[in-house]
Amino acid sequence: MIKFEHVGLRYGVGPEVLSDVNFSLEPGSFHFLNGPSGAGKTSLMSLMYLGRKSTRGRVTMFGQSINDMPQEGLAKLRQKIGVVFQEFRLLPHLSAFDNVALPLRIIGTPEREIMSNVNELLEWVGLGDYKQSLPLTLSGGQQQRIAVARAVIARPKLLLADEPTGNLDDEMGFRLMNLFEQLNTMGTTIVIATHSQAIMEKFGHPRMMLGHGHLNIEDPKKNWLQRTMDGVF
Amino acid sequence: MALLAFQHDKKLGVADNSARYDLPLHNSAGSGFLLLLVALMSFLAMMTMTGAFAMHGVTSMWSSGLENQATIEIPARMSDGELRDKNELSALRDKLNGFLADQSYIENYEVMSREAVADLVSPWLGDDVNTAELPLPVLISVKLEDSSADILYRIRQNIRKYADDIRLDTHESWLSDILRLAGSLQFSAVIVTLIIGATTVIAIAGAVRSRMAEFRGDIELLHLMGASSTYISSQFQRHSVILSFKGSIIGIITGALALGLFSILSPSGAESLVPALHLGLFEWTILLLIPVAACLIAHITAKITVLRTLSELPL
Repeated sequence: MIKFEHVGLRYGVGPEVLSDVNFSLEPGSFHFLNGPSGAGKTSLMSLMYLGRKSTRGRVTMFGQSINDMPQEGLAKLRQKIGVVFQEFRLLPHLSAFDNVALPLRIIGTPEREIMSNVNELLEWVGLGDYKQSLPLTLSGGQQQRIAVARAVIARPKLLLADEPTGNLDDEMGFRLMNLFEQLNTMGTTIVIATHSQAIMEKFGHPRMMLGHGHLNIEDPKKNWLQRTMDGVF
Repeated sequence: MALLAFQHDKKLGVADNSARYDLPLHNSAGSGFLLLLVALMSFLAMMTMTGAFAMHGVTSMWSSGLENQATIEIPARMSDGELRDKNELSALRDKLNGFLADQSYIENYEVMSREAVADLVSPWLGDDVNTAELPLPVLISVKLEDSSADILYRIRQNIRKYADDIRLDTHESWLSDILRLAGSLQFSAVIVTLIIGATTVIAIAGAVRSRMAEFRGDIELLHLMGASSTYISSQFQRHSVILSFKGSIIGIITGALALGLFSILSPSGAESLVPALHLGLFEWTILLLIPVAACLIAHITAKITVLRTLSELPL
């Protein structure tokens, strides 16, 4: 699904914010991305959602190398990716409905289908009464739910979410995490950047630990198994 | 009043669904300016093209009126400056009369009366001059079946047999100058129309580029969501075409009113050198195609500008 080989990223002539990052994510996997502030989580996410190109190394997405891919090819790949941005990035002049409908319109879904799918999802995230509201009139939590709904509406093959539960109360946070779990069981590969230890511990998926521009993947289930085995033998 | 206030409150923070754009192009401040500019350009294009049509009408009138026409002149004075004797003039006229009657390539001819010739010079001499004593030339208006160089040469050769100074005037000298002038004016009209088109292209391209800069963040977001460059450019194309259509309709309606006023105020009548402004079906069809041309220019310009600008983005 995603393969990074010796990937590095620097902005301009500054130091590398990501250095020699290597990892591979299998289709249908679920990972948390964790690390201290400034570790490069957002930069790594931007490489994964094809928001920028790495300054070195090789990035392969959906089995295709993106290093020399033309723009139209990138657009097709991006249609398979759903993104929840940390700052939501909703279009302020569009209603909640139209923001969520945007990915479907981009891929040319018929309006009738858009209508039923978007209405159903907005009801599900508790914003059924705010379909025509403009984002700026909604609270941070409501905007975040619209951002999540927009990211999942087109059933992406890869879902990337940067702090998707940051502005939500625990109940709504866990509800959205259950939605991600549900999508994951349907085959969507998921990477969620989060600082929430509670969420990471509750759901127990492997963690991509980013620190000083380097990445390590830790799997708590394997660690637990390893610890258990060590105790037994 | 309270109901209106309530309705207004209800509208606050609610999206306007009257136009569906992913980018807020219809709310952009420059839209009104572009609409006015296209209206002005359409008006100018209409005026210029009407001028070209009118010039074409004038040249057609002049050239068709003089087509295959020639005038034979027996001057009143001989080449040495001496006045020609009236009897000699009459004799030469009769000889030419006989000669012209025998030529098969001459459709018809008419020896102009002395009074008719006097009428021709009266605008320069005034009406109160006694023309009876004036030394007037003999003029013979000739209509040829064909005014090829060969036939004109044959006529010249033959009439010189009667007197060296008898002239054949085919009106070429002044008509060709006037036609050349008219041709230059028509060419200038074409150039002006092209300049108007180029100015419209530059204005639309500039407006599109400034809007792309204004909504750069939104465009990036659409890109990240998988929108192709064609999808993004279609938004600008639709907006530019709608603005150009509205602008050009305003422009040609204003132009039609101005032409109506001009045709009322302009001189007309059989004596006028310039024919009354009259546009036929063909001319009106061309003028009514200005909005189509404006929409086409807007569509192509917006598309090329957006695609070129997007291709310069890093991803």
